[in-house]
Amino acid sequence: MLSVALRKRLGSFSLDAQWTSRQPIVALVGPSGSGKTLTLQCIAGLVTPDDGRIVCADRELFDSQKRIDVRPQQRKIGYVFQGYALFPHMTVRENIEYGRKQGTRPLFLDRLGLQSLESHYPSELSGGQQQRVALARALATDPDLLLLDEPLSALDAPLRRELCAELSQTLREWGKMAVLVTHDLSEAYQIADVVVLCEGGRTTEAVPKNDLLWNPSSERVARLIGARNILRGAIAGTKPEAVILNWRGVQLEAALSPSHDLRPRTGDELAFFVRPEYVRLIRKNRVVSDNLRQTNLFRGDIVGERDEGTTWILYFRLALAGRPSQGDYDLEIEIPKLAYERLGVATDRQWEVSIHPGSIQVLPSR
Amino acid sequence: MDWFPIVLSLRVALLATVVTAAIGVPLAWFLARRHFPGRDLVSATLLTPLVLPPTVLGYYLLMVIGRRGPVGRFLDVRGIELAFTWRAAVLAAVVGSFALLIKTAQAGFESIDQRLEQAAQTLGHSDWSIFWTVSIPLAWRSILAGTVLAFCKALGDFGITLMVAGDIPGRTQTMPLAIYDHVQSNQLAQANSLALISVGLVVVLMLALGRVARLRY
Repeated sequence: MLSVALRKRLGSFSLDAQWTSRQPIVALVGPSGSGKTLTLQCIAGLVTPDDGRIVCADRELFDSQKRIDVRPQQRKIGYVFQGYALFPHMTVRENIEYGRKQGTRPLFLDRLGLQSLESHYPSELSGGQQQRVALARALATDPDLLLLDEPLSALDAPLRRELCAELSQTLREWGKMAVLVTHDLSEAYQIADVVVLCEGGRTTEAVPKNDLLWNPSSERVARLIGARNILRGAIAGTKPEAVILNWRGVQLEAALSPSHDLRPRTGDELAFFVRPEYVRLIRKNRVVSDNLRQTNLFRGDIVGERDEGTTWILYFRLALAGRPSQGDYDLEIEIPKLAYERLGVATDRQWEVSIHPGSIQVLPSR
Repeated sequence: MDWFPIVLSLRVALLATVVTAAIGVPLAWFLARRHFPGRDLVSATLLTPLVLPPTVLGYYLLMVIGRRGPVGRFLDVRGIELAFTWRAAVLAAVVGSFALLIKTAQAGFESIDQRLEQAAQTLGHSDWSIFWTVSIPLAWRSILAGTVLAFCKALGDFGITLMVAGDIPGRTQTMPLAIYDHVQSNQLAQANSLALISVGLVVVLMLALGRVARLRY
């Protein structure tokens, strides 16, 4: 278990991090300047918090009330720094052996494919190799906790994907606790068990990653994870396991997930969001037979579009009076490039769309 | 030709450089890496020998180590003479040159990525061990450059040495002082050869330093 509660002021920035994880791999996710790295430095003992308490695997590393402040050398924490911080004057082997005590477990050299590189200097290695050396060096001290600060951000996209999978596997095999700092939610999702969101020096609790993406706990969290089509509506009525929302003067049916302890009352205003990839364009030459496609069926126009390579983003405005809910459009729709071409969206701008009730995520208002 | 001033100068400069490096390198590291109140004041004070007139420095130094100065009296009681001996020349050279070493070495330490020293900490190394295995190896070119500069400066000190060690032929007369005396007594040939030797020494050292600067760690 890892429990972090700390406050630290640095100039005009103030960090207030409070979270606990019982899961082995935690990801701290947030934009740069949100205090992620400072949190790691406090956990490692490189920066002393103003007050708080840090407990790792039943060991108190810091407690301002009990005046406990274990030195970084004694914390048994491995740290993979952003940019890796390999010693440039030492070979790969010397780097990895620098922190290893005699009699500890054998090096990770061959596991990480570093054996043939052991007499090279860091400047002779590629980014991916440097990342592996930094990981091997941190693990060689046999720490209780591993901290990783943006371990993949220095790499280019294809290598990044490959090393993301590799890192995830290495951490699972290693089996102890790790804290990963990243600004990339999908990276966090692939590697971690729980996610802590950071913004402007404040953090959320550690949330299981699936809950975070599929059941965000508030509108703020939804914004932090980059949810699109965050909309507002009023409750017009309820059904068993569903709620009818009044949005833009039309009725929208949204499924309620059983885990939500939302007790909707008619007339309440609430926020919800619609995943752009779940809005469907209805083919014109076919009769809609599927019942589900007849719920939440709307007519409107495509007023803008963006080519994202493999997908297209369409900006859709309902054919309704009144002000569109997101500037000059109501919904952002994402469709695969293939569908875009097959349906002839480039020339045909008038469409009917349907929104599956299960793809509308109702957010608890807090 | 009288070899005494050359031998004395080399001996004084060498000893002064050893003393300067032994005190200056740790001090430079401390100034680069530790934050304490009054650090800027200490940093500025250490630089004054570079800009103060050497005679002023020499005058104050003499006040301290002369027979009636605090240090001078302390040593005099124990039968040690400092002022107007070659030891005072070493002290003069140290005072005149250590600012160069400290500034250069401090810049070297400051240019080390702090994460390297932090990484060494998380890998279990003490500050002492990190100083020797990370800080020194990564700053050694700056330290060497500072040391060579300090040596050259020590070799050439005139004003401070004259004030505290005097100009006693065969005892405290270093190369710069000898050159001055030769010129005063119109022995230009002797002045010329000593001046050439001075220039030659410094040029060779500077060339060697340029070579080293191109090496890796």
